[in-house]
Amino acid sequence: MNASKPLPLLVVGAGIAGITTALEAAEAGREVVLVEREASVGGRVLRTYHYFPKLCPPSCGMEINTRRLERNPRIRVLTQTSLAKATPTASGWAVTLGQAPAYVNDRCTACGACTEVCPTRVPDPFNFAMSEVAAIRLPHPNAWPRCFVLDRAACPEGCRACVEACQYNAIDLAATGREESMEVGSVVAATGWQPYPLERLPELGGGIFPDVIANVHMERLASSSGPTGGKILRPSTKQPPRRVAFIQCAGSRDVKHLPYCSAVCCLASLKQALYVHEQLPDAEVSIYYIDRRTPGRNEDMLTRVAATTGISLVKGKVGKVQRGENGDLILRVEDVEAGSLKSAHADLVVLATGMVPNLRDDGLPLDLPRDEDGFGLESLEKGILVAGVARRPEDVAATVRDATGAAAKACVATLRRA
Amino acid sequence: MAAPSAILPSTAFSEELRRRGGATAARCYQCATCSGVCELAPEDSPFPRRQMLWAQWGLADRLAAHPAVWLCYQCNDCTQRCPRDARPGDVLQILRALAIEGLAFPRVLGQLVGRAATTWPILIGAPILFWIVLLASTGLLSVPKGTLVYGDFVPHWLIYSVFFPVAGWVMYASWVSGRGFWNLLGDGSPRSGSFLLHLLPVLTEIATHKRFASCEAARPRRLGHLLLLWGFVGAAITSGLLVVALYGFHTELPLPLEHPFKILGNVSGVLLVVGGVLLVRNRLTDGERTGTSTAFDTFFLTVVLAVIATGVLSEVGRFAFPAELACALYVVHLGVVLSLFLTFPYSKFAHLLYRTLALVHGRMTTPPAPAEG
Amino acid sequence: MERLGVFLCTGCGIGQALNLEGLGAVAKELRAAACITHPCLCAPEGVEAIRSALAGDELGGILLAACSPRAKQAEFRFDPTRVAVERVSLREHVVWSHPAGEEDTQLLAEDLLRMGMVRLAKMTTPKPQVEAIERTVLVVGGGVAGLEAARAAAGAGHPVVLVEAQERLGGHLAGLRHLVPERPPYDAPHPNRLPELIADLLAHPQVRIFTSSQLRGIAGQPGQFRVEVETPQGMQSFAVGAIVQATGAHPYEAPKLSHLGYSHSPNIMTSHELEAMLRDGILRRPSDLRPPQRVVFIQCAGSRDPQHLAYCSAECCATTLKQVAVIHREFPGVETVVLYRDMRTPGQLERFYQAVQEQPGSLFARGEVERVEGNGAGPLTVYLKDSLLGNAVALPADLVVLAVGMVPNAADGEAIRALHDAERRAATGESETQRAEARKVVEQLAAHEGTEILHLDYRQGPDLPALKYGFPDSHFICFPYETRRTGIYAAGTMRAPMDAAQAAEDGWGAAMKAVQCVAALSRGEAVHPRSGDLGIPDFFLQRCTQCKRCTEECPFGTLNEDAKGTPQLNPLRCRRCGICMGACPERIISFPDYSVDGVASMIKAMSVPEDVEEKPRIVALLCENDALPALDVAASQRRRWNPWVRVIPIRCLGSTNIVWIADALSRGIDGMVLIGCRYGDDYQCHYVRGSELAHTRLGNVQETLQRLALEPERIKVVELAHDEYGRIPEILDEFATDLEKLGPSPLKGF
Repeated sequence: MNASKPLPLLVVGAGIAGITTALEAAEAGREVVLVEREASVGGRVLRTYHYFPKLCPPSCGMEINTRRLERNPRIRVLTQTSLAKATPTASGWAVTLGQAPAYVNDRCTACGACTEVCPTRVPDPFNFAMSEVAAIRLPHPNAWPRCFVLDRAACPEGCRACVEACQYNAIDLAATGREESMEVGSVVAATGWQPYPLERLPELGGGIFPDVIANVHMERLASSSGPTGGKILRPSTKQPPRRVAFIQCAGSRDVKHLPYCSAVCCLASLKQALYVHEQLPDAEVSIYYIDRRTPGRNEDMLTRVAATTGISLVKGKVGKVQRGENGDLILRVEDVEAGSLKSAHADLVVLATGMVPNLRDDGLPLDLPRDEDGFGLESLEKGILVAGVARRPEDVAATVRDATGAAAKACVATLRRA
Repeated sequence: MAAPSAILPSTAFSEELRRRGGATAARCYQCATCSGVCELAPEDSPFPRRQMLWAQWGLADRLAAHPAVWLCYQCNDCTQRCPRDARPGDVLQILRALAIEGLAFPRVLGQLVGRAATTWPILIGAPILFWIVLLASTGLLSVPKGTLVYGDFVPHWLIYSVFFPVAGWVMYASWVSGRGFWNLLGDGSPRSGSFLLHLLPVLTEIATHKRFASCEAARPRRLGHLLLLWGFVGAAITSGLLVVALYGFHTELPLPLEHPFKILGNVSGVLLVVGGVLLVRNRLTDGERTGTSTAFDTFFLTVVLAVIATGVLSEVGRFAFPAELACALYVVHLGVVLSLFLTFPYSKFAHLLYRTLALVHGRMTTPPAPAEG
Repeated sequence: MERLGVFLCTGCGIGQALNLEGLGAVAKELRAAACITHPCLCAPEGVEAIRSALAGDELGGILLAACSPRAKQAEFRFDPTRVAVERVSLREHVVWSHPAGEEDTQLLAEDLLRMGMVRLAKMTTPKPQVEAIERTVLVVGGGVAGLEAARAAAGAGHPVVLVEAQERLGGHLAGLRHLVPERPPYDAPHPNRLPELIADLLAHPQVRIFTSSQLRGIAGQPGQFRVEVETPQGMQSFAVGAIVQATGAHPYEAPKLSHLGYSHSPNIMTSHELEAMLRDGILRRPSDLRPPQRVVFIQCAGSRDPQHLAYCSAECCATTLKQVAVIHREFPGVETVVLYRDMRTPGQLERFYQAVQEQPGSLFARGEVERVEGNGAGPLTVYLKDSLLGNAVALPADLVVLAVGMVPNAADGEAIRALHDAERRAATGESETQRAEARKVVEQLAAHEGTEILHLDYRQGPDLPALKYGFPDSHFICFPYETRRTGIYAAGTMRAPMDAAQAAEDGWGAAMKAVQCVAALSRGEAVHPRSGDLGIPDFFLQRCTQCKRCTEECPFGTLNEDAKGTPQLNPLRCRRCGICMGACPERIISFPDYSVDGVASMIKAMSVPEDVEEKPRIVALLCENDALPALDVAASQRRRWNPWVRVIPIRCLGSTNIVWIADALSRGIDGMVLIGCRYGDDYQCHYVRGSELAHTRLGNVQETLQRLALEPERIKVVELAHDEYGRIPEILDEFATDLEKLGPSPLKGF
């Protein structure tokens, strides 16, 4: 092993994958720089109500992880930061990190005085704009770093209400962005994913009917930190639904949309069916599937849901979703096992939309090798690693496994090239 | 549990399907989106999801015994939405062609037309040649003097002495194939009511193309198809009337333009022309929706268009062209008409027969659904 | 701990809501060496003030009376070996959650300050014992997971010893020519690259490989394991720092699947037997050695079946697709049929599925295989029910391949230990009934006899504890590598059902944890979940009564016993949860910064109004990982709760010592509520059993209460998840009202 201290690792993206990669490497003694585009870490998992199969809150594990982040002297976390430039060097990469203006800096105590006086409301990105928040706020109840963010673009001309309310001069409306350059041994892309857009699925009512939502919306509806405070309600009437339908493979396994299987949607819908069942025991829940994909011990989840009265699993991909007379939704689908066509009625339709890797549209300034769907391909030689859904569609447990492996690969790649 | 039925996959069948352009069927993973989007699929036995599986497995007998493939108007809603691009619409189209060939009497003619991709020169050439030979052998192959009257060139008795037996044969062949189909349908599941009683609504349905209208993707095709249908009906009636006029009332031919028979004939001609043009345009502009054309379709369409074109041209040519050209055109016209006649039970034309039977069968096996369409 | 400093932050509304003189007075009464008030302690100026005071007054410990211990941790990080830090949550637990300027609010603040001070006073700074740590990583198992783990650890600069039971390396992939595609375009099998990896490792100077070898013993603790391996060259002994167990899985026994007729015809074979044929480039019916016309694959043979394997084996679908692809490529004209219940091809494997479907002669159908008929060389018929081809169909086949599931090559350490204990009792038990009982247990557990793999010298058994279905999976979604034996990490198909690609990943992941464990131990730090903790539990063994509760209850097998049953601490195995501390009736176990005495003194320090007419007092012990954060969120949303409640954060409910309850009640405290993580099958306790153990202990307490003529309702244990912040104020308020109904504690004023 080389004597000189190895170069730090750069981890891009602080979702569960990036956080894990950073922590595992840092706790093994490596210097790590973890950059996150958003103002707080946690990415998609913190927008999830509960994990399958244990139905436990992601914030529980994240509590441990943020404590590990906060107490580890070898990790630097840079939020609202992205990888601006990267050029290969003899032993790694010379990178430039671009940090957005920190209108609220780390003197912020999260006391909330600014939110109270803020005159502007904006759609809450944390809740997929299903609710509104003040322009200056804590991104969400478990946000870490525990520092407020300001949606500067939303500020009324000349408004300084928050600045005056803040006793700790943590707010600087004139703040400017900054750049920082450094050399790193290897780069781990853990840039995560975005849900396949509802609007692309008009034949299933996506983007047309308000009561046709995506699985990610359902997570927010069920969460106590969500737009309804955890109540599952129809967007159109704000009433609890009596009949909820889940349409699997909404976009996935479809050469006209996403040719791959997104790997988590089956379990996500089974889980969400339980959310509905536990909150609204009388609701009729139907899950329309092509194949039930619950690998490994997650099979238990399928067994459990299949045995739950009030939840039915129907083999058959829904052909079209139309609006009925009384404002409910009509799903036209062949019940393959029964061998008959039916028109099923529902008040709320959840499309199990798939995962699109963020790398598809943004390959980072590394000309990172990708497959034709935009999933990243690692290269130990180049010192480029990929972790989590940036690499392949997979659930959280698999993501953490991958991310831990990616940490090891990043360390090895760094040593090899040093 | 019922005694298990034996399944014998036929690789030969799926090979044939593949050869005819149905390879995409292999991609089907039975999601049933196709059945879910199909506007024509009956609630109790939806298609084409199941037919796709049977096609993959080469279960020809099941396919033959089920009316589904004939209930499809190939609107291609399914093909548009299929997540695996298995193109169910095209596959069903090919399955129909295979069925027509399989039911053909005699088999060899079915195969001849079924392989139109290679046999089309014979299918079109032979009838034309036949006329030339016939005229030559009867010493009639000479352009008459004076203003051209086709009756002087090819006497009507000659035409009818060819077409009456041919029509007879075609009806016989269709009857044999049709009966064979009728016996296969529904695996002997009981039918109720009288054939003719159920035939009537089916015919009106066909006459109006009501079901056709419900296919979203096929709407542009509907009008062309309808006009063509009526054009043929009109043409058929006209020729029937002409026979009556000719031998019943010894009317002089050609009829004057204002003669009602003439008008009917010309109107039918116009319908055929417009319909044909619409279909061709649709095929050229909207390929994805019309589905991919196999040689089998193209042959039929070509013959139809040839009939129309040569018909119109020879009518106009009588005054506009030099007599030699007009006569040549007329011979070609007689040739392609003969080809159309002869190939009726074996070409795509036969779908008129089988679809009608399938629809009647459907009505006779299921209780009439209230407020259809 | 001498010379304590108190730092009062007046920011975030603390100054306005509380009487600072009052608080200052409390600090004096507690003889603080320094008491500094600051408008914003977390600002650079505030932190500077603390640092200068630390230097100036040589403070040994500081009490930060400001915000929650979870806030501003980076700002308030001081050298833990030099200064002890205790934080009192005046902001969240007092001013944000209680009306400003009221007496109760002030009393609450003063109490919390007192409690914090005594806790701090009882703390010592940890003396990190940095011992000699062996960097070698032991990899058990030379399959794909083990080989990749070895590559990873060696690549990270660690010596590696790899032990494989078989003659050759490679496990199930040994000699295979093709693997399931992992790289674009994902449409055809990939060549097996394992041979190159094996060659690399054999040539690697840092890697020692023992094949045809068995582990015979692993003693000691992470960083200092002593390993005995029986090799063809004789017994080898060496030291290792951490261990990766990648002992793989074996196919489920096909003969048990009687309905699939495996034993009746040679032409019914397992996917592994087919793989062996394809490996040698042949495909023929064992009965007559003729090439088959139609090969029928039956998926889920044993898997997804409560009679056999309740779980999905995760790799069979893709493996079958690979075999089908190879057959069509190398034996054109052969027809293949795959009978599945659900095709499971996640991610890009979907592309492979489609590519294989498009092979001419490759058929698929969904359905339940009822049975396979056929004897000897006779024809085979597969009977399907509820299939897409019909409710009852019969499919003739020349060759039937059963895609059998996987069973982990793992031993259940705890079961083996239970077996051995029972055997001992059966021999030497006092009463005959006891011996009979023991014999029954021996019968039940007989299957575990001699199944040892790791041969750990651990009180709690010679192998990792098996979880559901025999996989020693961590059961954690967020922390899949957290086994219950520190420094030993499971990888590959013995950890959970997975395919070869995932097993390779898993090897890297487990190796990372092994390397990390060695690194952390060399720094004298704890590993997950209290990574970085330098404290080590101290056992005052002179007062030990050999009750064995600590050795029994430690979830991580930290403690061994000597012949008399005295616990022998292996500090490097310890995860610092404090469960042993909670279990000990003699209260002889304590951490530098966390002890029975510390919390007990906090309870003693709170003011309990003697007068029966006065307001009641309630102690709330909150798990610092879930309940405490939930309360913080409630506070940040300005939720109110009962001001008689005194919150004491604890590491884990499992560290609750019964004496705390005794102390509280005897002081006339009216009630005590313990709030911790969910337990049971879907437990959320990061120390696995802490919450569960607390519930059992408290169960026993209830009886004691009745003897003391105290209502059992005065002690309450509640399960709470991290995101249930909406519920926690209600829990506290309800408890308070219930206690009011009961009336004041009869023990007040005694």
